[in-house]
Amino acid sequence: MQRNSLARPPRGGPVLSRRSLLAGAAGLSAASVLGACAPGATSGALPLAYWHLLSGPDGVTMGSLVDEFNAAHGEVDVTQTVLAWGSPYYTKLAMASAGGRAPDVAIMHAARVPGYAPGGLLDPWDGDLLAELGVTQEDFPELIWEKNVFDGTLTAIALDSHPFVLYYNTEIAERAGALGSDGQLVEVSEPEEFRDLARELGAASDGGHGLAFGYLGDGSNMWRMFYTYYTQTGATVELPVGGTMQYDEETAIATLEWILSLIDGELGNASHDGGTAISEFITGKAGMFYGGVWETGNYRAAGVPFDMKVIPAVFGQPSAYADSHAFILPHQANPNEEKRRWVHQFVAETLQASLAWADAGHIPAYSPVVESPEYGDLVPQSHYADATDFLVYDPPAWFSGSGGDFHKYFGEYIQNVFARSVSPLEGWNGFVDRINALLAKPSPV
Amino acid sequence: MSATPVRARGSATPAPSAMREGLRLRRRAENLRGWLYCSPFLFFFVLFLVWPTISGLIMSFTGRTLTGANTGWVGVENYAEAFADPEVWSSLGNTLWFTVLSSIPLVVIALALAVLVNVGLPGQWFWRLSFFLPYLLASTVISLFWTWLYNPQLGLLNTMIGWVGIEPIQWLNDENWAMHGVVIATVWWTIGFNFLLYLAALQAIPDQLYEAASLDGAGTWRKFTSITLPQLAPTTVLVVVLQILASLKIFDQIYQMTGGGPAGATRPILQYVYEAGFTGYRLGYASAISYIFFAIIIVISVVYTVAISRRSVKP
Repeated sequence: MQRNSLARPPRGGPVLSRRSLLAGAAGLSAASVLGACAPGATSGALPLAYWHLLSGPDGVTMGSLVDEFNAAHGEVDVTQTVLAWGSPYYTKLAMASAGGRAPDVAIMHAARVPGYAPGGLLDPWDGDLLAELGVTQEDFPELIWEKNVFDGTLTAIALDSHPFVLYYNTEIAERAGALGSDGQLVEVSEPEEFRDLARELGAASDGGHGLAFGYLGDGSNMWRMFYTYYTQTGATVELPVGGTMQYDEETAIATLEWILSLIDGELGNASHDGGTAISEFITGKAGMFYGGVWETGNYRAAGVPFDMKVIPAVFGQPSAYADSHAFILPHQANPNEEKRRWVHQFVAETLQASLAWADAGHIPAYSPVVESPEYGDLVPQSHYADATDFLVYDPPAWFSGSGGDFHKYFGEYIQNVFARSVSPLEGWNGFVDRINALLAKPSPV
Repeated sequence: MSATPVRARGSATPAPSAMREGLRLRRRAENLRGWLYCSPFLFFFVLFLVWPTISGLIMSFTGRTLTGANTGWVGVENYAEAFADPEVWSSLGNTLWFTVLSSIPLVVIALALAVLVNVGLPGQWFWRLSFFLPYLLASTVISLFWTWLYNPQLGLLNTMIGWVGIEPIQWLNDENWAMHGVVIATVWWTIGFNFLLYLAALQAIPDQLYEAASLDGAGTWRKFTSITLPQLAPTTVLVVVLQILASLKIFDQIYQMTGGGPAGATRPILQYVYEAGFTGYRLGYASAISYIFFAIIIVISVVYTVAISRRSVKP
């Protein structure tokens, strides 16, 4: 009785008990859940889900490419979902594909394809349809196209390649008298010549370092540096599942010693992580910087006077460690043919509009863009575009490629070498043992 | 004579049985309502804890992968592989080492701080706030924060030790230092919780005990060892158990500060489970490692409980 009297609404006022308020709230939330389906349904545009891992300036550029496509085609609506790069992204992608409820299109590093394609996680592209839309094999440099094809099937469509390159501060280089008549850094072809160049740039820089290389806690960056120099000798690494890692030990050790000679505390700082290496270069305390092409936007925004070039071939042949952002079709249990057609069109148009993408530093994979006069005018981008002739990707294995365990384990063992707490041979052997343990296990894909 | 019981049965039984029936019905209704109130919790408990626990156990006997390939029942193969895998042992060792290194200061320093605050320093609220505040931060925040402090070139810590002429330390990049670096950050971050438990327990100790001891001529140290510590014993048992369990679960800050490196020197077992399952795709194998770790935690808990209960039985 007492409860009833308490619950009685105030006389004359609107009848709104707690219960009816809750019921109303539940109704509202149910309506909003249903309403979430509405925009796509009412506008009539075909929704296309697009996942990628491009953040920062790259993400902004990709966002504008998507917006352009959506504006040009009212009947379709590409929605991008940006996920954190590295293992979180690749895990989610694998799970979505394994469940058959994957996005309509996604970006993947080309070197990660061997970890996904054999398990049936990727659907093939329709080469004929792409050709109809103006994209054919002839439009790609051979080395990049090779990464598109897995086991004879067109599995990926590369958007770009992003090699590991050398940045240099043009003012410091000028002070050091290290600029050639073309205004670019002088060519060097011998290890000692390069060290001399670094020494001169260091003398002309504010903090006395010729070069900056951030490696602490970053296995990928250590591997990029190592593999660029290692492959300049013509040596290779192979990762046969069920076997053991194939490599040239003498070259591997010599390469590690060479890198140690660059980060000896005199030519380069002995213990940089990514952030401190970047800040050293930005503040004019280092003449050169080893890094991926994606720092371009960062340095431009910071107002650093810089230019870029491929890493000088001091061990024989030019070589540039690289990976590519590539479009893939994550496996869908029941693909919608109309959507698939639109995805092909989206990819074709994005490739054709990739001059905008080049702005972020990446070299577009679509040759007509790179060969266009507009791209030739892009500086410093056009100064390292020739890297596409000698790109080296990760040795294929289910655990290699950008953000894969291969880079992680390289970092785990080689960081101690670069920090001079173990010998190059000891660090290298630890890495090889770790990889051999992975190779000994059956491939999970 | 014979009629009495019959009459008694006839006249008296209907009432109690009706009452019992009513009671039974009411109890059933109450039980039903109880289950109803518990059901949202039970639903999620079963969905997100009981079922995953069972399905993880089943999975540990299969070759299931993240990519959906199910290579079927493999029996105890995953367990055999895990026992022979040096990475399992090294990461398990790291977890236990972290637990030892972190639990001791997290209990001892928390007690010391609580006692210091409790003696009536001026501005108590300030000390309580400053010791507890870090606990409210997310692991990502403290990881970033300490990574900057530990930075070999620009970090405050190396700058400070440089003032007294000590060479820079590679806090997170040297195998010998990395675990200590993580422990220091963790102690700073989480000490507030134990501190708060101790502070509450300290405030519950009756003042008369100290007054009586003072009359008997006991000094500060004597009072601390003979009154404060014994009175805090139940809290200490709780703090130690909670701390050991929390330390065994270490993952976030190590993953963010060192990624398990250098050379696996800080990789805890949970990170190895994550790597085996999510970057190595082998869910079955990862489940087997989880269950081995689960068994170890159970053993530690049982040993600790037995040790404590034996001690408390002693006169």
